Amino acid sequence: MEIIKWVATNVFGTPAILLGFIVLLGLLLQKKNSSQVISGTFKAIIGFLIIGAGAGVIVNALMVFEPMWKEVFNLQGESLGKFMGQEGFNAKYGSAVTLAMTLGFLINVLLARFTKFKFIYLTGHMMFWTTTIFAGIVVHAVGDVSFVKLVIFLAVIMGLYWTIQPALTQPFMRKITGNDNIALGHTSASVALLAALVGKIAGNKENDSEKIKLPKGLEFLRDSNVITALTMGLLFLVGAIILSTKDTQGAADLMAKAGEQNFIIYSIIQSFTFAGGIAIVLLGVRMFIGEIVPAFNGIATKLVPGAKPALDCPIVFPFAPNAVILGFLGAFAGALIWLLVLGSTVSYVFVPTMIVLFFHGATAGVFGNATGGVRGALLGGFITSTVVAWGQFIMVKMLISSTVPDTAMWAADSDMFILGPIVRFLAQLFF
Amino acid sequence: MKILCVCGLGQGTSLILRMNVETVLRDLGITADVENTDVSTASSMSPDYIVTSNELAQTLEGTSSKVIIVNNYFDMNEIKTALQENLQ
Repeated sequence: MEIIKWVATNVFGTPAILLGFIVLLGLLLQKKNSSQVISGTFKAIIGFLIIGAGAGVIVNALMVFEPMWKEVFNLQGESLGKFMGQEGFNAKYGSAVTLAMTLGFLINVLLARFTKFKFIYLTGHMMFWTTTIFAGIVVHAVGDVSFVKLVIFLAVIMGLYWTIQPALTQPFMRKITGNDNIALGHTSASVALLAALVGKIAGNKENDSEKIKLPKGLEFLRDSNVITALTMGLLFLVGAIILSTKDTQGAADLMAKAGEQNFIIYSIIQSFTFAGGIAIVLLGVRMFIGEIVPAFNGIATKLVPGAKPALDCPIVFPFAPNAVILGFLGAFAGALIWLLVLGSTVSYVFVPTMIVLFFHGATAGVFGNATGGVRGALLGGFITSTVVAWGQFIMVKMLISSTVPDTAMWAADSDMFILGPIVRFLAQLFF
Repeated sequence: MKILCVCGLGQGTSLILRMNVETVLRDLGITADVENTDVSTASSMSPDYIVTSNELAQTLEGTSSKVIIVNNYFDMNEIKTALQENLQ
C-alpha cells in the first residue's frame, strides 16, 4: 500500500516526472540510442517545468493590461477574483492532463485503426492546451474530482475530438490542397468551417486572393514574437496614453506602479514582457512536444495502415499566402471592434492574443478564400475574432473562472470556446 | 552537424518538418542533430544549416548558417533534393 501511495504521489502526482516516463517509453519504443533517450527525456521534463515559469510572466503583464483597460472604459474594479492559475493547476491536475492526453491519443489511434476515419492528430501543443482547458472546465464545474474519473472522461472526449475534427474539415482541405494526403488537426477548425460556409454564401469565389500582390513590408507578420509584441505594444501604448490624461484614483494607482519610470515606457515594456512570457511558454511546450510527438507518430504509423496525419494550421498557408494576411487583417480589425464593444457592454477586457488571431484568422482566411475569394478571407478573419472575443468572455467569466482563466486569455481557441459548454454539460452529467 | 527546422511559431509545423528531415537524413545515411524552433529564435542560434520556407528565409538574411529552402514541408522528394544539393 505504501509503495502504491508513493508511486501515486511522486510519479502520477508529479506531471513532469510522469511526462518524462511517457517520453522515455516512446523513445525506447522507437529504438533511439542511449544519448538520444537521455537528452529527450530530460528535455521533456525541463520543458514542462518551463511552462509554469513563462505562465507567471504572462500573468504579471496581464495584471497591468486588465486594470489599465478597465480604467479606460471606466469599469468597476471587479477583477478576476480567486483562481488557481496555470502553475497551481498544473501542480494539482497536470498529471491527469498528461495522462488523459496520452490515452486520448491512443483512443484516436484505435478509432483510426478500426473506423473509416483514418486521421491521426499530431498537433501536440494544441493537444496539451485543449486537454488543459477542458480539465479546467471540469474542475470548475464539479469541484475536486477523482483522478481516475477525470483522466477517463477527458481521454474519451479528446480521443473523439481528435478523430472527428479532421474528418469534418477534410472536404474543404481536399479543395485547398488538391489532394487527400494530409488533414487539418487544429483547434481553429470551427472558425475555418464557418469561414468556408460564410464564404460560400457571402463571398465571390472568382475574386481569388492569390491574384493580388501584397506588399513585401508585411513579411514580418510571419514571425509570431514580432506580431505579439507589436500589437500588444500598440494596445498598451493607447491604454497608457488615455490613462495619462485621466484624473481618477484608479489611474493614479496604476501609474504609481511604474515608480520612477515614465508610465508610457513602463507600459511598453509590459507588452514586450508579455511577448517574452509567451516565448518562454512556447519554448517549454516545444521542448516536451518535440520529444513526444515523434514517438506518437512512430507508434501510430506502425499500427494504422493508410493513416493520414492531421497537422498544425500552417500546413494550409502555402496554398494561399495572401489569404493568410487577409485573414489576419480581418481578425485584427474584428478584435479591436470587439475590445471596444465588450468593454462598453458586458464590462469585459478582451485580451486579443495575436498568436490566436494570426494563426486562426489566417486558417479561416484560407478556408474562406477557397469558397469566397478575398471577401471570404476577410470575413473568415472577422468570424475568428468574433468567436475568440465572445468565447474568451464566456470562458473566463463562466466556464473556468476558478481554475485557469489566465491561461484561457491567451491559450484558449475557437474550438475550445464552442465545445466548452458541451464539456461542462457532460461533466455535470457524469460527475 | 546541427540542423534547425524553422516555422513562424516554432511548434507544430517545424516539428513535422524536423521529423521529415530526420527521415530523409536516415535514408541518405547522414547523422545530424536536428531541432525545430521559431524564426526569431533561429536567427540567434547559428546552427550549421537552417531548413525553412522561402518567405521565412528572407527574414533570416544575415545569419551565418547556410539556409536550405523547402517550400512544401510535406513533400519528401523536395526535402530530399534540397538536402542532397546542400549537404553533399
